[in-house]
Amino acid sequence: MYLEFKDVMPSPLRDYPHDEASVWKAGFKLEFPKKVILNASSGKGKSTFVSTVYGLRRDYIGSVELDGKPIEALTLDEWIELRRLQLSAVFQDLQLFPELSVWDNLCLKNELTQHKEEQEIEAFLEKLGIGDKKNQLCKNLSLGQQQRVAIIRSLLQPFELLLLDEPFSHLDEENAKIALELINQETDANGGGYILTSLGSYHGFEYDSELKL
Amino acid sequence: MLKKILFRERTNVQFIFATAGALIGLTALLLSLQLILDVRSFHSNEEELFGPNSVVIQKKVTKLTTIGINSTEFTPEDLQSLREKEFITDVAPFASADFKVGISEVEGDGLPHFYADMFFQSIPNRFMDIDVDWNWNEQSEFIPIVLPRDFIMIINYGFAQSQGMNQISEDLLMAARLTIHINGNGQKTQMIGRVVGFSQKISSILVPESFLTYSNALYGNNTIQNPSRVFITTKDDSYGELEELMDEMNLDISKSAIDVAKIKTIIAVVIGIFGIASLLIMLLSLLGFVQYSQLVLSKASYEIKTLLRIGYSIRQIVNTFIKQLSLTFGIITVSAVVIMMLVKYLLVNPWLEKNGINIEGSSLLIAIVTAALCFVLFISANYVNVKKTVRNQGNA
Repeated sequence: MYLEFKDVMPSPLRDYPHDEASVWKAGFKLEFPKKVILNASSGKGKSTFVSTVYGLRRDYIGSVELDGKPIEALTLDEWIELRRLQLSAVFQDLQLFPELSVWDNLCLKNELTQHKEEQEIEAFLEKLGIGDKKNQLCKNLSLGQQQRVAIIRSLLQPFELLLLDEPFSHLDEENAKIALELINQETDANGGGYILTSLGSYHGFEYDSELKL
Repeated sequence: MLKKILFRERTNVQFIFATAGALIGLTALLLSLQLILDVRSFHSNEEELFGPNSVVIQKKVTKLTTIGINSTEFTPEDLQSLREKEFITDVAPFASADFKVGISEVEGDGLPHFYADMFFQSIPNRFMDIDVDWNWNEQSEFIPIVLPRDFIMIINYGFAQSQGMNQISEDLLMAARLTIHINGNGQKTQMIGRVVGFSQKISSILVPESFLTYSNALYGNNTIQNPSRVFITTKDDSYGELEELMDEMNLDISKSAIDVAKIKTIIAVVIGIFGIASLLIMLLSLLGFVQYSQLVLSKASYEIKTLLRIGYSIRQIVNTFIKQLSLTFGIITVSAVVIMMLVKYLLVNPWLEKNGINIEGSSLLIAIVTAALCFVLFISANYVNVKKTVRNQGNA
């Protein structure tokens, strides 16, 4: 999958002085599978970048292309199809269902995609250390625990590109490392890639490419 | 699972209001519809003979009439003006026999010996809505006759008692043949007649038009005058106009005929108003339900957005909604039909019967089809609304 930014400038960032090398000034073209890091301090537009690629906001000028096709032209139905088969995401605000249990949150996704067996999902929970939270309501979990649920949910579908918006912001180094390991493992299994945004910590992660904001 | 997320806050006041509104509206609509159908299907025995909404009119006999200054005849101009009335759909003057008629028993048919002078009149066949064969031709076995019901009353409760005769039941009279004596145009003949029905509405002795045409040609004395009685058919609910006409032309109409027209008009108007009111309630409750689903949708706005973000299609979400609404409204529809039937069979019908109005029970099919149509209307209105709202949420 190709992702290309052509002179993209989100309107909230229009008046901000951007670096010449930044995505907003220089644009880019990336071919996945590839592991990409997007490192920037707060307020530079990391979440704006993720929402733009995921089709959630259109308040920008310029053009974003996926496989040579401008995403501005995609219909809602095409986006939904894309999000089920090619594009996955962990949002900064997680977007879980607080009234559902951890297990229901995950099943909701997996029932749609039929991507994993129940045992595999249980193994993911165990691996990230929240196996005992399976039946708890999401709203009763800590942010770090919720973050791990969101990460697992993003892996319960086939994808060519996984967008991770500060997925480890509430995790300690050790847990972040384990989560990254799981993400890498699943990304490779899918033959896909990801873009990971971070506030500057690398979690000892070896990336293929770096984007700047 | 989708249902669990989308209908998280289902039991709220709006839901109860919307459900109750829809139930009341639909029940009222079906009930008034059913009652209108029932009233339309309502026949007194009389009307089975003569069709609905038909009355006999004649001019009042006054002192002036008796001394010969005034006439009760309907002139051709009178008839023309009747035909021009908007609420009158059919006009038929009575034809009279132009010869002398007498009847007596046929020996051995069970009737006591009697002889009576009579007369015959006829009205066009289209007014006769009668089971037995009202057609007559020269080969017919007997002449069918319709008698006024009062006639048998007078015989049984007046004449028979005072003369020491046996009383005669309607059935016996209808089973027995009668000898008809005809005398006119210098000729005499006897024929066989049979009573085939009794009428409250027409105080006349009716025979088929074909018989009267035939016999008038043979035995007529050529003294035929203008008709003095006219049969008219009016439109439904035209009681008011009929009353005006009575005043205008100084008419005399049998009381019972007017009462039937009056009752039917009043019932039709009352139920009509009730029907319009229930139609309004129904439409309001439709709006209430659309409002309710709008509320559920906006309460589940985060959930809908998120579902669309994790790959659920619009169709899946809309279907979940519609399935739930169909279930709810399906229960409402079925309940409305059941309540309508309970009210009809346990309250309205016994009440009508107690008041002497017999309802054969018109078919429930139309009411049930209407309920089904309302269901379809509800679901499609909500489908359009839900689909639009979900799409908007996805694009937001």
